[in-house]
Amino acid sequence: MSDATSPEAGGLGNDERRLTPAYRPSQVEKQAPCQAGCPNCGDIRGWIGTVAQRDKLGLTKEEAYERAWRMITDVNPFPSVLGRVCPHPCETHCNRAEHDEPLAINAMERFLGDWAIEADIPLPTIDGEAGPEWVGVVGAGPSGLSFAYQMARRGYRVTVYEGREKAGGMLRFGIPDYRLPPAVLDAEIEKIERLGVEIELETAVGRDVSLQELKQRHAALYLGIGAQAGRGLGVPGEDGPGVWTGTEFLSLVNCGEPVDPGTRVAVIGGGNTAIDAARAARRLGAEVTILYRRSRTEMPAIEHEIDDALEEGVELVLLASPVRLERQPNGDLATLIAQRMELGEPDDSGRRRPVPIPDSELELPVSAVIAAVSQAPDIRGFEDLDQDGGWFLTGNGGAVGDGVWAGGDALGLGIAGMAIVQGRHAAEALHARFRGLAPPEAPENGKRLVGADEIIMEFHETRPPALPERLSPEERLAAPMAEVSGRITEEQFLAETSRCFSCGSCFGCSQCEMFCTSGCFTKLEEVGPGIYFTLTLEQCQECGKCVEVCPCGFLEVN
Amino acid sequence: MRFPSQRSVADSFSSIPLDAGADLALKDGSRVAVIGGGPAGSFFSYFLLKMAEAIDLELEVDIFEPRFFTRGGPSGCNHCGGIVSESLVQILAAEGINLPTEVVQRGIESYVVHMDVGSVAIQSPAKESRIAALYRGNGPRDGSELQWESFDGYLQGMAVERGARVRHKLVTGVDWTDGKPVLIENDGHASAYDLVTVSAGVNSNFIGMLKDSPAGVAPPKTTRTYICEFKVGREGVHEIMGNAMHVFLLSIPRLEFAALIPKGEFVTMVMLGDELDQELVHAFLDDPTVRRCFPTDEKPVVCSCSPLINMGATKRPYGDRIVMIGDSGVTRLYKDGIGASYRTAKAAAATAVYQGISADTFEEHYWPACKAISSDNAIGKVIFGVTTLFKHSKISRRAILRMTSLEQEQEKAPHMSSVLWNMFTGSAPYKEIFTSTLHPGFIGSLVWNLAHGMRPSGGNGKVA
Ligand SMILES: Cc1cc2nc3c(=O)[nH]c(=O)nc-3n(C[C@H](O)[C@H](O)[C@H](O)COP(=O)(O)OP(=O)(O)OC[C@H]3O[C@@H](n4cnc5c(N)ncnc54)[C@H](O)[C@@H]3O)c2cc1C
Ligand SMILES: Cc1cc2nc3c(=O)[nH]c(=O)nc-3n(C[C@H](O)[C@H](O)[C@H](O)COP(=O)(O)OP(=O)(O)OC[C@H]3O[C@@H](n4cnc5c(N)ncnc54)[C@H](O)[C@@H]3O)c2cc1C
Repeated sequence: MSDATSPEAGGLGNDERRLTPAYRPSQVEKQAPCQAGCPNCGDIRGWIGTVAQRDKLGLTKEEAYERAWRMITDVNPFPSVLGRVCPHPCETHCNRAEHDEPLAINAMERFLGDWAIEADIPLPTIDGEAGPEWVGVVGAGPSGLSFAYQMARRGYRVTVYEGREKAGGMLRFGIPDYRLPPAVLDAEIEKIERLGVEIELETAVGRDVSLQELKQRHAALYLGIGAQAGRGLGVPGEDGPGVWTGTEFLSLVNCGEPVDPGTRVAVIGGGNTAIDAARAARRLGAEVTILYRRSRTEMPAIEHEIDDALEEGVELVLLASPVRLERQPNGDLATLIAQRMELGEPDDSGRRRPVPIPDSELELPVSAVIAAVSQAPDIRGFEDLDQDGGWFLTGNGGAVGDGVWAGGDALGLGIAGMAIVQGRHAAEALHARFRGLAPPEAPENGKRLVGADEIIMEFHETRPPALPERLSPEERLAAPMAEVSGRITEEQFLAETSRCFSCGSCFGCSQCEMFCTSGCFTKLEEVGPGIYFTLTLEQCQECGKCVEVCPCGFLEVN
Repeated sequence: MRFPSQRSVADSFSSIPLDAGADLALKDGSRVAVIGGGPAGSFFSYFLLKMAEAIDLELEVDIFEPRFFTRGGPSGCNHCGGIVSESLVQILAAEGINLPTEVVQRGIESYVVHMDVGSVAIQSPAKESRIAALYRGNGPRDGSELQWESFDGYLQGMAVERGARVRHKLVTGVDWTDGKPVLIENDGHASAYDLVTVSAGVNSNFIGMLKDSPAGVAPPKTTRTYICEFKVGREGVHEIMGNAMHVFLLSIPRLEFAALIPKGEFVTMVMLGDELDQELVHAFLDDPTVRRCFPTDEKPVVCSCSPLINMGATKRPYGDRIVMIGDSGVTRLYKDGIGASYRTAKAAAATAVYQGISADTFEEHYWPACKAISSDNAIGKVIFGVTTLFKHSKISRRAILRMTSLEQEQEKAPHMSSVLWNMFTGSAPYKEIFTSTLHPGFIGSLVWNLAHGMRPSGGNGKVA
């Protein structure tokens, strides 16, 4: 950046007494709100821009797709999976929401992920960084696999120990097929394995091998054991046939095991597990009622999943909590007795605490009850590590003990994206430690978040977002395994990328070049998202036109 | 004879077909490109189409202008002080260009000349030499009154009404193919024209690119200026400025000229100087004389810029199929740039429509209009030189003050008053101003006042 008083700068320059800022521009890349909203801090604007600006960059469609996909997989090896299941906080933050609708980022991510599976593109490696260390991972859920990927792509030898018969964690045994087809998960895990990651299935730590042995075998360990243990309801009548925890039930369904909940199922809870269990039970032909003890706004499940469940005929009974289960003489379930609740003062989580209303019981005939109230890690075999009430407690960038790191649901229930970023951060920190490098910095460190008021929205015509085709509720119930949501078409995908405002980063719109007739902005020969023009201030008139007309908030008054 | 297209500019210059001169005239369907839609470009398009219509000539006129003058704030503005003489407003009215009050604010009735030795108000000597104020865009950044309409936008509208087409593009180069100019736009798009009129002002790097063109025109000399807008509020402006424009003759090193112009809720400050910088701006604002009439501490500045101003004519502002007008060509020294744009635009349009578009034709019919301006500028330089000498001598400052004050108070022959008036408004050619200073009455009075000024108690200026 040229100094305000430097001879090459035109105009009158700056000093403290200046009457106005010299409206002299500087090109300052800022953080986009989508990225700020993403736990993984992915360069969303960057990969969307790569496709949207492909003509300016001289890329073919395929080259642009591949480049964009590599940008995603730099931080997340599961675009196809997350493109389906991520609750996409990025979209919630998208500035375009103030113009028409937020960008369909999730649908675009899925498009690219699916494209890369079909085009069989290998995950990107980082060459020349590895050392001899052999690292071990416990748990082949998204967190453990993310860690494994980040180490393996740098060339480290990685072995993953997984207790179950297949890798994938809750993505496989929790999330049902109609939301995430197993073939998609398989394909993305396979890409990780192709980097040389060994996955030892049916090898549970604490059962088949001890933590101590692994510590000796490996230079470091990463624990991504998730929160597998479903909690019960703690009400009388719970023990006996017809009662499952949500994760148990979904695991059976997802593994294709025979499971018969009968005709009237009550699901207790308001999270993703509850909704998925209810919809899975509905697909088995049962009448399903979800009981949740607070109101709908407090339900932690992904909003549109709740809508989908209701569309499919799931009943929702809010502000109700089970008090006991009554059984028939043969032991089968008969009735669920619940109590009506009302909302009191907010609790620690900020949500209003449900308070029972006396003498307000309601009865529900049931053939099965699914308790999807909460999950917790199964930390048998890991008792020596730092923990707090059964959850791992990490300090120091993800470590839970000497040479042992942890992340994902085992630290607290989260979303897959969160599990993935924790795996990545641990890998980056560990790699830095192994190689004696400075601890990695967040890519957006020091960049200011661009505000919605810095975007000239009128520069862009309003245009509805790309919506995928979806199965009707009838079609869904008729084909229980069929994926509910389709993939946007290529045409939709390309159109959607061009809706991006490119908040805070130059996309080569040429407004500055056009308005600065003095010629301070010169188009570069080699351009890229964020870099289209060089700026020389020799002829600057300090009028500020360029800053005023820059639609993406990239230029600011120096 | 045919030539391969897209040859280098220099090459094609030397090999313009010999018979090209034969059709160096506008015909039905000829395409004219106007680079820059400021006053010069719009005047030109307006007159060209009007004159062409009069002789039943059908032309296609494209005005290349990247800016949108409908926008408020700097992005729709072509920075200047915005002072035009009432006589120009009236000439334009006679041409059919009636500037509405949203565009031109009339009624600046006096000048106040400030010097350290005192200030004096000069009333407009005649109604037609009153001045008017305007904004080139839709008013400054942060304007709260929707009072101003862009002058440049208004003129553009007149040109469009006549049939010109505005293309919101930046021209980034000219190629010559078969002796015809091909304009390159910033998105790479290119199109050929029969005539290119350059009206890109001086704040454009485009004019520098023409050095190597067949026209071989060197860009005009320029110097940097400073303009800013104080947001004072309507009442405040009236209180401080009255109905007057305020100019300053101060002995501040490097300061050439400074003026404060009332414009509705704003006061526009314009400054010219040698190597103008922040130091000079502050030296001016901190000067006791300035502080006396315009203390700036409380007044927010909402808009500012430092554009270049034309300091010397383009040599040979024409070639085959190319002509340069307004600031890009020849304009008046320091003032009345808009008036000069009007005159050069009209002369160029008349030449193109009635005479032809070859270098020779422009030389014969267009150049005289330019030469009149540039020779007058030569006289202007002398006058400014003398003023500078006067400015730096307290005795002569007193003399000017005394002479003007007496003229204004006692309704004497307004020798000094009209010299000053004409110098600041640009409503008369420099030659006329110079001639009036040779008037025996002027000289006699000046000598008398100079002598008076040497006595310590000399000044009796009326403080405005
Ligand atoms: C029903 C359901 C629906 C969900 N829906 C969504 C959604 O739509 N979107 C979203 O983003 N998130 C969703 N989530 C949350 C998301 O799935 C989890 O946050 C994520 O899977 C956590 O990843 P993890 O790697 O930490 O743990 P897990 O995915 O739970 O993986 C842990 C792995 O470790 C293995 N393991 C555990 N203990 C041992 C041991 N001792 N030895 C060896 N292996 C062991 C387990 O078998 C498992 O494979 C959902 C969760 C559930 C339960
Ligand atoms: C500080 C200052 C104060 C002044 N005060 C006064 C005053 O009070 N009264 C007065 O009469 N005059 C004044 N002038 C002079 C006046 O501003 C100019 O004479 C006048 O603007 C010239 O008009 P123009 O059309 O030739 O050029 P401009 O007004 O400069 O217009 C040029 C146009 O060309 C466009 N352009 C430039 N490059 C390209 C390109 N490559 N492609 C396409 N379009 C392009 C620009 O966007 C612009 O709109 C002042 C000037 C300055 C600097």
